[in-house]
Amino acid sequence: MFNPDINDYQLTSIIAECCGGVAVVYSALYKPNNQNVAIKRYFVDESKEKEKANLIQQDILTRKELQHPNILSYLTSFVHGQELYVVSPLMTLGSCRDILDRYFQEGLPELACAIILKDVLLALQYLHKQLFVHRSVRASHVLLDTNGSVKLSGLRTAASMMVRGRRQRQLHNLPPPDHDNANLMWLSPELLEQNLKGYDERSDIYSLGVLCCELANGAVPFAEVPTTLMFTEKVRGSRPQLLDCSSFPEPLDDGEMKSMYNTDSGVGDSADGVSRLRQVYANRKLSDTFHHISEMALQRDPERRPSATQLLNHAFFKQIRKTDFLPSLIGRVKPIKADPSDMSALLLQEKLSEMEIEKQTEWDF
Amino acid sequence: MDPRMCRQISSSESLPDAEIVEFEESNIIVPQESDDNFLLEGSPEPQSVTWLDDDQIDELDINLDQNNLFFHRVDSADIIYRNKKKKCKMVGKYVMGDVLGEGSYGKVKEMLDSESLCRRAVKILKKRKLRRIPNGEQNVQKEIQLLRILRHKNVIELVDVMYNDEKQKMYLVMEFCVGVLQDMLESSPGKKFPQRQAHDYFTQLLDGLEYLHGQGVVHKDIKPGNLLLTLDQTLKITDFGVAEALDMFSPEDTCYTGQGSPAFQPPEIANGAERFSGTKVDIWSSGVTLYNMTTGRYPFEGDNVFRLLEAIGRGEPAPPPRCVGPALRALLADMLRRDPALRPDVHRIRTHAWVQAIPPLEAGERLVNPRSRRSDEHHNSTVIPYLVERHYASAQEYFTERDLRHELGDNGSRTMSTAELSDGESQCKRRWNSSCGRLPSCRLT
Repeated sequence: MFNPDINDYQLTSIIAECCGGVAVVYSALYKPNNQNVAIKRYFVDESKEKEKANLIQQDILTRKELQHPNILSYLTSFVHGQELYVVSPLMTLGSCRDILDRYFQEGLPELACAIILKDVLLALQYLHKQLFVHRSVRASHVLLDTNGSVKLSGLRTAASMMVRGRRQRQLHNLPPPDHDNANLMWLSPELLEQNLKGYDERSDIYSLGVLCCELANGAVPFAEVPTTLMFTEKVRGSRPQLLDCSSFPEPLDDGEMKSMYNTDSGVGDSADGVSRLRQVYANRKLSDTFHHISEMALQRDPERRPSATQLLNHAFFKQIRKTDFLPSLIGRVKPIKADPSDMSALLLQEKLSEMEIEKQTEWDF
Repeated sequence: MDPRMCRQISSSESLPDAEIVEFEESNIIVPQESDDNFLLEGSPEPQSVTWLDDDQIDELDINLDQNNLFFHRVDSADIIYRNKKKKCKMVGKYVMGDVLGEGSYGKVKEMLDSESLCRRAVKILKKRKLRRIPNGEQNVQKEIQLLRILRHKNVIELVDVMYNDEKQKMYLVMEFCVGVLQDMLESSPGKKFPQRQAHDYFTQLLDGLEYLHGQGVVHKDIKPGNLLLTLDQTLKITDFGVAEALDMFSPEDTCYTGQGSPAFQPPEIANGAERFSGTKVDIWSSGVTLYNMTTGRYPFEGDNVFRLLEAIGRGEPAPPPRCVGPALRALLADMLRRDPALRPDVHRIRTHAWVQAIPPLEAGERLVNPRSRRSDEHHNSTVIPYLVERHYASAQEYFTERDLRHELGDNGSRTMSTAELSDGESQCKRRWNSSCGRLPSCRLT
């Protein structure tokens, strides 16, 4: 049990700002048992931003309901001052998106992809069985830990197929918009179409296919094209691909390269970075089973896409051995550590301890 | 009106590039030389190019049956279509799609938010037209003011308002809906819904009304034509043009003006009362709506508006048919009481036996699908063809009947959904362009 009291936590560093500045994630020490945790601190004025507050509430409610080793669990939450704090286990290697940006711009090694994708599929298999559609499967929502565990987060946008006590055959609404609409790049064509046919849990399988490409290529498919073109491309059935010597036989010139693939992910933004990536793609060979599984998941017609359970039996995962340990496959990734020089975290801590708050209330859901 | 993607060109040989003349859709072009055998595919004149659209082709078929009893063989490769240009137009961040409906004020079109990709509907109001409608401009201002404040699952959401001073146009961006109850009723057997379906809509109407009345808003024009459905069958009350916000500090809900649709007006308005209870007007109109949805008829009828109002003024509704059952008959009688004071309010209606129990779907009854006159079966986005034009401008302009049949597996005159068409493995551009949208019905080969 974790106490819903800010005084039991020592903030140690800032991990990330997220949700377009609405929240900040800190690493923290839970003083009663010296355990490291992650704390997400939301700045939400409930009177003005009722919808946002509802989403956070939804996130917590969903996570309370779901228990699975591959889904980021919920420990506790509390209000302190004007802000809401949500406590989760600390995943010390951070999100796959951060890892790709900082250490693997050309994508993760295939075996690492396989291990991660398998765990994400286990999470999806469970979610789908509980009649949830995640609607936000993407590398930034896949978290890794030094102990080798992989957890899916981002339950904020998950939707239940149970509406007013009745099981729906399909859903129709877009997930709630994120601040920059980036989430759309991972969404399936049938979800984006918003027609009477609607979508169901197989939409997550399409997003998993996009995740395959994201993890293997480093870049997100469609990242550099206008949103409306991404939409028409998906509706017309154009599929993103894994980039290797089979799909990328001749290096393109720089201009084309830039226009086709997102290389704008931070460090590798220079022309050098682009040509280096080009070399990496053209010289590597990903397995046929990897190509196959991503093609299966990215099929335009949801009826043809395999379920999470079917994908878990795919030959692609046969390459994983019991002795394979994810953190050693991505050895260059440094874990998040308490950063004594992270002044802002320390200052915040000071400010918080000075604040006299009459009574701590746990959010009552 | 009908989004025709293609027009037909007939010619004996391959397309004469220089001789293409584009005609207006409304013109039927008849070759000059003879009245009898018009539309001669194999005409010796290589430049006889005929532009037709669906209606004209239908007409020609009839004419051919009467006058022309010989067959003329034409190779399917010789019938050439041209993609009709769908010029992509943006208003603000929105991409315009096809027309969804038309009213006296202007058009309602589909739009796509180019940032969030959310489907929207836009009511386009032309100042010039608004001036011609009594209270037009005031009603629109009032509607905008009301909709900005109102927020409920069963009340249409006003997403955005844009103005174009130059064109004197106003754009009201709303939630996207797939159908109007009125259109669905007109297309269904007996012009009514199974009670199960009517119950679903009616309870949602009650939810919306309860919210509105709680907010001190009287709609005053509740009718199936103002009740929309979203993709997931959520009912939305729309058109607040004649709605009224009541005085928050007055204990009563007195209104002085009624401008709603005659068939749904209560006796007090039909009799020209100077003041009346606002919320009870909505109760009456909801009663007429429920009556109409479950029986396919109206409680009051008249040959003209005058007679109709006279009948309503007498306040003796035609009893609903016995087959609707005692519970519903009692509810309808209650809601259509002549004396507004005796009509139940929303809370009382909720406790009524018919509202409390969900009626079963009787044998032989089928749920009516949401539809509108202008969309395909799945209500696919009508913006996609415009986006295709925008993003793939170099796409092939001409294609032949043979290509078409090849694409469609010999089912030439069927409307294909965009989803259906892009399901295939092929990703080439020609495939898409030759087959998206509506196809002309061509029965000449």
